[in-house]
Amino acid sequence: MKLQHDLGGLENLETLETLEKRVFVQPWEKIIFAVHVAMMGLSKHLGVTKVPTTFRDEWTWADLRKGAEAMHPFDYFKYRYYEKWLGGISGFFVSKGYVSAAELEAKTKEYLSNPDTPLPQGGNRAIDDQVIHYLETGDSPKRDVKMAPKFKLGDTVTVKDVPPADHTRLPGHLRGKTGVIETVYDGVYTYFCSTGPDGLGKPMPVYCVRFDPKDIWDKSVTEKGMYFYADLFEVYLSSHAVKG
Amino acid sequence: MTDRFLYDPKREALSAAKAKALEALLIKKGVITSETVTKVIDFFKTKMGPFNGAKLVARAWKDPAFKKRLLKNANSAIAEMDFPPVMSGAEGEHVRVAENTSSVHNLIICTLCSCYPWTLLGLPPYWFKDPVFRARAAREPRKVLKEFGFDLDDSVEIRVWDSSAQIRWFVLPEQPKGSEGMSEADLAEIVTPEAMMGVARVELSPASRGYDPKAQGF
Repeated sequence: MKLQHDLGGLENLETLETLEKRVFVQPWEKIIFAVHVAMMGLSKHLGVTKVPTTFRDEWTWADLRKGAEAMHPFDYFKYRYYEKWLGGISGFFVSKGYVSAAELEAKTKEYLSNPDTPLPQGGNRAIDDQVIHYLETGDSPKRDVKMAPKFKLGDTVTVKDVPPADHTRLPGHLRGKTGVIETVYDGVYTYFCSTGPDGLGKPMPVYCVRFDPKDIWDKSVTEKGMYFYADLFEVYLSSHAVKG
Repeated sequence: MTDRFLYDPKREALSAAKAKALEALLIKKGVITSETVTKVIDFFKTKMGPFNGAKLVARAWKDPAFKKRLLKNANSAIAEMDFPPVMSGAEGEHVRVAENTSSVHNLIICTLCSCYPWTLLGLPPYWFKDPVFRARAAREPRKVLKEFGFDLDDSVEIRVWDSSAQIRWFVLPEQPKGSEGMSEADLAEIVTPEAMMGVARVELSPASRGYDPKAQGF
């Protein structure tokens, strides 16, 4: 398992005395954030064929997350949030041939020596209209498929230790742990892509599962009067105890 | 010795140049326009921010029937009121509201990444994405809250909600004592993003009121 999948409950960390309440701590972070939003709003999977953009790929949260989860774990913790985005997104545009590595490097050098050089101007505003339309309406993963949930309210379930994959939505600290179904969500939910042996992709029921922290961590390091809740896809749950 | 932990001395200048270079090339190649970045950022300054969540909280405090519907099905409760439709837009398609009471306190986290109800709270602040917060809040939320200046009585149960699937979580904070006579609009002014995430109480007289995009780094 990757270190970045298993953060919950890690020990020996420092206290949090000041809250960095800013969303962006450097002006350039706004650029990379907005580019990511534009890619999600123009993504091929939304079926918007008439928008006059040259973007021709699928881009969702799964792609961004996969990039971060593929990083060397020490780099993951070394770089700030939007630094990881900048690496992942620029790498995507190079690997897909939208821009060449040489082009990007030359342009970066140009702006490094003259940061105030103006941007090129223009573009069809229908592109921006679609990006804003995406923000306004979203991209619901809920699907209208009839499927009976395997578990019901109050059932005791054990979280599977599914095989490692490039990408997962199963927090590492819950693997092999036992909890109780708190909510059976209405309907079924898809995921942006297949996560292979991890099991996501096809529409399936999703549950909110309540865990007693003593069933996750040793009681000497847990707090009293606390419950931990996680939203988990059905494929991650089993009605049987998972062996060792 | 490994140089993995060394940062380039021009770290920020390089990132700034690379981000601008990417934007320039994407405009040139027709992927985005020269207005895309500004339009997206303006959207989060004016249409999709914590001011939406604050309005929802104020309405729930004033209207118990609405609060009941909000706790049962947040998106349909939002849709039937005069709230902007954007409140069920991107990253808020499926929202659940956890209510703080005198005996239960809620905290929202995302241990895997940075899932956050954009439609109601805008974008997550850096501390929410900090691996230290994500790791510690999962196991020792009382200690973390105390470090944030929030002393939770031992008798109050704490519930931590990890947004690991498709639901985005939102905390309905407790209404501060003495605010009962305030108007809905005035109440919305005192509700902070931190209160709607469960790391702060709503104060009757907060240090600042309303939403200031500059304070969030916009």
